[in-house]
Amino acid sequence: MKKRRSRYLGLGLLVAGYAFALFWVFTRSTPVVSSRPVTIRIAHWQIEKGPPDGVDAIIKRYEELNPRVKVEQVLVPGRVYNQWMRTNLVGATGADLIEYGVWLDGLTDIPARYFEPITDEMMRPNPYNKGTALEHVPWVQTFTDGLLNQRVNAPDPGQFYAVTLTEVSERLFCNQELLRTITGTNRMPATFADLRVVFEQIRAYAARTGRPIYAMAGARDNASWLMQYLLQGAMMQRSQRNDRHGNLAVYPWEELGQYLEGRWSYGSPEVRAGLTMMREVSVNMKPGFVQSLRDAATQEFLRGDAVFIFAGTWDGTSLRRLATFPIAVYRFPQPTRDDPVMGPYFYGAFADGGGGTAMEFYLNKSSAHPKEAIDFMHFMTSVEGNQLFTDHSGWLPSIREVKIPSDIEAYRTPLDCYSFGAEYMTGMGSTVAAAVMRNLYLLTETHGSVDQFVNAMEAAMPEAVRTDLRKEISNRTIIVRPQDVGIMAAAALSRRAPQNGSLPLARERLESSQTQSEGLMLQLGRQLEVAGAAK
Amino acid sequence: MDPARRILPLILVWPLLAVGAAAPAGPDRAWSALADNRPQDVLRQLRRDADSRADRLAWAAARIGAQPATDANMREAEAVLAELESGTDELAAEAAYLRARIYQLHLNEPDFAQAAQLFAELARRRPESHWAQLGLVKLGLLKLYLLPDLTDPGSDRLAAAEALLPRIHEPLLRRDLELQIGQAGIVLHQPQARFLPHLIAAAQTGGITGTAREDLIVQIGVLSERAGDWARAREYFERYLAEYPTNVRAFTIRKKLGEVSHRLAQEGGA
Repeated sequence: MKKRRSRYLGLGLLVAGYAFALFWVFTRSTPVVSSRPVTIRIAHWQIEKGPPDGVDAIIKRYEELNPRVKVEQVLVPGRVYNQWMRTNLVGATGADLIEYGVWLDGLTDIPARYFEPITDEMMRPNPYNKGTALEHVPWVQTFTDGLLNQRVNAPDPGQFYAVTLTEVSERLFCNQELLRTITGTNRMPATFADLRVVFEQIRAYAARTGRPIYAMAGARDNASWLMQYLLQGAMMQRSQRNDRHGNLAVYPWEELGQYLEGRWSYGSPEVRAGLTMMREVSVNMKPGFVQSLRDAATQEFLRGDAVFIFAGTWDGTSLRRLATFPIAVYRFPQPTRDDPVMGPYFYGAFADGGGGTAMEFYLNKSSAHPKEAIDFMHFMTSVEGNQLFTDHSGWLPSIREVKIPSDIEAYRTPLDCYSFGAEYMTGMGSTVAAAVMRNLYLLTETHGSVDQFVNAMEAAMPEAVRTDLRKEISNRTIIVRPQDVGIMAAAALSRRAPQNGSLPLARERLESSQTQSEGLMLQLGRQLEVAGAAK
Repeated sequence: MDPARRILPLILVWPLLAVGAAAPAGPDRAWSALADNRPQDVLRQLRRDADSRADRLAWAAARIGAQPATDANMREAEAVLAELESGTDELAAEAAYLRARIYQLHLNEPDFAQAAQLFAELARRRPESHWAQLGLVKLGLLKLYLLPDLTDPGSDRLAAAEALLPRIHEPLLRRDLELQIGQAGIVLHQPQARFLPHLIAAAQTGGITGTAREDLIVQIGVLSERAGDWARAREYFERYLAEYPTNVRAFTIRKKLGEVSHRLAQEGGA
């Protein structure tokens, strides 16, 4: 009897399990065969609050418009992004569209090896802008900055490689309640001199009350952004003097070449002024902050342990969504002509973001669906797509004609300040960047000093600069060599299909950009040759 | 043996045979594959000693483009190209150009003198061929930076490249060499009067893409301002602001435009 009952129980369980499985398969799981024959993937590291929602909104609308394409968003944490990208690209398993930044450590060869230029498409209007004011505007001109940053970082000076989703700037985010509690007013310091006074008030308040409150939330990322900003400002005059090419912009390889020519060093008085100001700010951060990443600074600020945080507008949505207090957004107070430190090198107000666009997406050469991937690039950077991104992410748009919500209007940098591009820090090359970050603590820690940092950097720079210049040449060689075959192929195909006008144009462009790249490689090679070996 | 068992291996192997059959064959498909950066596909399909000269050229191009890019592979390609360049058709000119490029760019230890000699020889034999014209641009780069010897301070590198300009009849290629001479003039610390006309000539031809175009407009404006040529500086600053009004450099250029306009007004040139 007992045996029979247990047999029924087993059978019952089996039937229940089967019924549950049927229910799950037909109601919850993904179809075995997708109704959308094409799947493309877009990968990025912007996992902070905002951007994933923005990209989701773009995908949702895109899939409505394109029923045969499925788009998957792949979110990869910044800590593992470099390794993730390298291994996936080497294994030809990378996403179709991949976010990349030239500053990512040890990845400068990636665009040349794994990304496909999109120059021809950039010269034509974005089809998704039909019916808008940008309907007849070439794609590249629809970006608020004309894709300047992307072009500066392109591995090939005549080619376009990426589209951007957002305009970025750096701002001082302020805990208004805490500022009022400490200073008795909501008024923000207008100049760097005023900021020094507020720093003093905060230190006095912390000492008086015993509360561990600092003026600035600290982490190595935030400190690095601030230092780039201050050095760029301090070096404005010298950047102008060193601009032999007359570009009104100093490219990273020019910073390296000018270093070899002795036209600047970390011991230059302008650099020392910038470093002195950086030290002034960093002693108002929590000791030991260089060991922490940006999340730690964000948490410190959100806990109410710091009055200000200097961050990119990319952190704005996270700060605003997570804070329990009102946050005000300001431009960082700049030194004036009579500043005791920076005054002698004052040139004018300098850019705090400069209106450049970022969150650059590149087309993977190994994409199985390049046509669809480019189509999605078109949509996400159309007026409609970029509006969706802005509205759902709380980030600025990268596309003209997109309406900016009033609460993020303060993120925009009006064209009211100088910018020469050069930041004399991590943007020059990965070896120099590693040396800067390795030695940063010598400048920022309590027992550090400008001299200690300068001495360490001057010891590291001669070899680091040469290494980065050699890498620059090597990366460009990777691009230039296969172009010979590409040029031959374009010529052969256009002879066989003379009615196809795009082939001769593609060949001409490739020939021209290849010659430009070779010219640049030879210029860099000459700089190395003239400088000789590091002593 | 059971007939089904005999057919089974065929069924399993069939997809592989089908894939092989669908791979590129003939010059059209070969060049399409090369345009798509798939040189290995071409090497699988074409033979080094193919009957057709076009196939042999495609094979050599694929050999140059394929990995690993060893010197041995380059020498193998060069042998085929050397044989092809003896003809009198356009294909011979293409082969000669590619052969010179092997020496200039693809060998681990480039032989610039040999590359220069091959470019010069191609230009002598087929002066109007596109490949000879392009070769003169590449020869210009060699003369600007690498030949005859970097250590010779007296050599006028710009003059050597300038001498090639009258022989380049294709406007876009001539423009590219003008641009390179202009940029080299800056890097080689030449007087501005020596190189600025080349930059202006390149800008006047037009058609440059990417950052280079934008830089060139700024560059001519700024260098003209430095030379006191206020009118030209104003022309190029205005052109820049019309084409790139939202660029981060626009603020600086507006300031500069104000200054040069003031100078022009002072001198009665406004």
